[in-house]
Amino acid sequence: MPRGEWIGVGLVGAALLLLPPLSGFHPYYLYLVSTALLFGTVATSWNLLAYAGQISFGHAAFFGLGGYGAALASLAGFSPWLAIGVGGLVGAGGAAGIGLASARLRGAYLALATLAYAEVWRGIAHNWTEVSGGGAGLIGIPPLPPVGWLPLDFTRGRAGGYYLSLAFLIVILAVFAGILRSRLGLAFAAVREEEERASLLGVHPLPWKILAFALSGFFTALAGGLYVHMVRVAEPDLMFSRYFSLLPLVMATFGGLYTLLGPAIAALGLYLVSELLLHPLAPAFHQLPYALALIVVALYLPGGLAGLLRKKKHHGTA
Amino acid sequence: MSLNTLAQALISGALLGCFYTLMALGFSMILGVTRALNLAHGDLIILGGYLGYWLWSGSGLHPLFLVPVGAAALLPLGLLCQWLFQRLPEPKELSSLVLTFGLSLLLQNLMLALWRGEYRLIASESLAGSIHLGSLGLNPGRLIVAAAALAVVGALYLGLTRTRWGRAVRATSLDREAAALLGINVDEATRTTCLLALALSGGAGVLFATLHYLYPGGGIDLTLLAIVLTIWAGVGRLRSVLVAGILLGVLETLTVAWSGPRWRELVLALVLLISLLARSGGLALGRSH
Repeated sequence: MPRGEWIGVGLVGAALLLLPPLSGFHPYYLYLVSTALLFGTVATSWNLLAYAGQISFGHAAFFGLGGYGAALASLAGFSPWLAIGVGGLVGAGGAAGIGLASARLRGAYLALATLAYAEVWRGIAHNWTEVSGGGAGLIGIPPLPPVGWLPLDFTRGRAGGYYLSLAFLIVILAVFAGILRSRLGLAFAAVREEEERASLLGVHPLPWKILAFALSGFFTALAGGLYVHMVRVAEPDLMFSRYFSLLPLVMATFGGLYTLLGPAIAALGLYLVSELLLHPLAPAFHQLPYALALIVVALYLPGGLAGLLRKKKHHGTA
Repeated sequence: MSLNTLAQALISGALLGCFYTLMALGFSMILGVTRALNLAHGDLIILGGYLGYWLWSGSGLHPLFLVPVGAAALLPLGLLCQWLFQRLPEPKELSSLVLTFGLSLLLQNLMLALWRGEYRLIASESLAGSIHLGSLGLNPGRLIVAAAALAVVGALYLGLTRTRWGRAVRATSLDREAAALLGINVDEATRTTCLLALALSGGAGVLFATLHYLYPGGGIDLTLLAIVLTIWAGVGRLRSVLVAGILLGVLETLTVAWSGPRWRELVLALVLLISLLARSGGLALGRSH
């Protein structure tokens, strides 16, 4: 990364770290920015899977599995901090499952299968009343408790969830950056570019594909598990909402497919513009930016905003 | 389940299936000529339904008269679809999913803003009640809708197999470049197909609103249904779409009769997932006439 980008990332990071005390621990704004950070995590996880060539239209399945897994663990008496980890593992399992089942599907048909998969889990959550509570869902999920060995300000009220969502985003960005520099990243790129040729060259695509699904599902489910402890209810139409499939797709493609920071930046930008600017002005149309971003990306900007910046730079040097 | 309930479920399932065929046609036709998977398909049908509801509640006309109005109202969107889908970059199937996911969200927001998310139904008395055949009761509304669907499917079948236009459309969806080399006006065939597909969706929407409550988010189920039928039948094979539609209609009514209506959506999503996993070559395998 060039020095300018490092400075930018440092400034944004510092601002995010200091936001809770600067906003006077304002519950609404902390909740809003936490959700934006969670979307950043989910969009980056989505991008990690896309980097291995798998375009998902069903990340709501992993988000919801994480949410329900964490909610059930929490209600069973686990500490919420631990329960979120349990939810992550449930989501990783669910993601590896669909990765394995759809071994022979590519491109648009894989995308449709993941879309159907999320709908299947929504249906299960609606109907498996003994476990999921059915349409009414699970209530009484405890909030994140303060952590004794940390200064109280870091975990009081909504600040605990806020810092944990920021930590998740930093961790997934670090993991993705590590993958991009490692042999794992090469294997993912090989699977993406040409599944058949990769298998001729001795890279068996299926294990890598399942690994990419499991990793992406794990971090998405962690976000779901934290979210459920923020809203403190788990309903099928909330946890498996199509927005958790749609938004990461919009954010990652708009921010720049396969880039490290593009999806997270687009997630923060699009979500905050939609909630802070459009929601008060035109509530019925606050989702308009997502729809327009998708249409623009599909027709004019296959590389997203990052592709646009790259193009400008090329023009500059030429 | 008694034999009588079973017969009742089979008959109403078959009637429902004829209507499902009508609803799936627009999706399958657009996929044929443009290779676009239109995820906004169901939302377009719901939009047609809302327009029908709005005209019906304003004018009190018989819903059947409003079917052509609903069809005509969506025609401009047919031109928009053609314009959008012809501009899609490769791989077309995937970029069409991204584009139409956005269109679907746009349409849902539009309907939410215009009709505020309340449930609406064209509750025309002329379509209510029940006709008795022995011990079986049939709803006249469902009979009329099924008959209308069959008539449209029949007319479309004749149009596609017996006319010059139909030959051009079939050639375009088989191999666009070869058809163009042979002097077929593929743009014209694409335009007319998109127009027809949207008209069918608009008309089907008005009929849908006489059977089911409308709400802005209700389109996704109809889209999934159209995708299932297209996987089962292949692109453009009208008779197979009809058979597939009837099978799915019967499957749905049996599910509801056995285990209650809340299982409907889950079974539909499961059927789609299993069909996709089983048919891993993609929809293109069925691309023939």
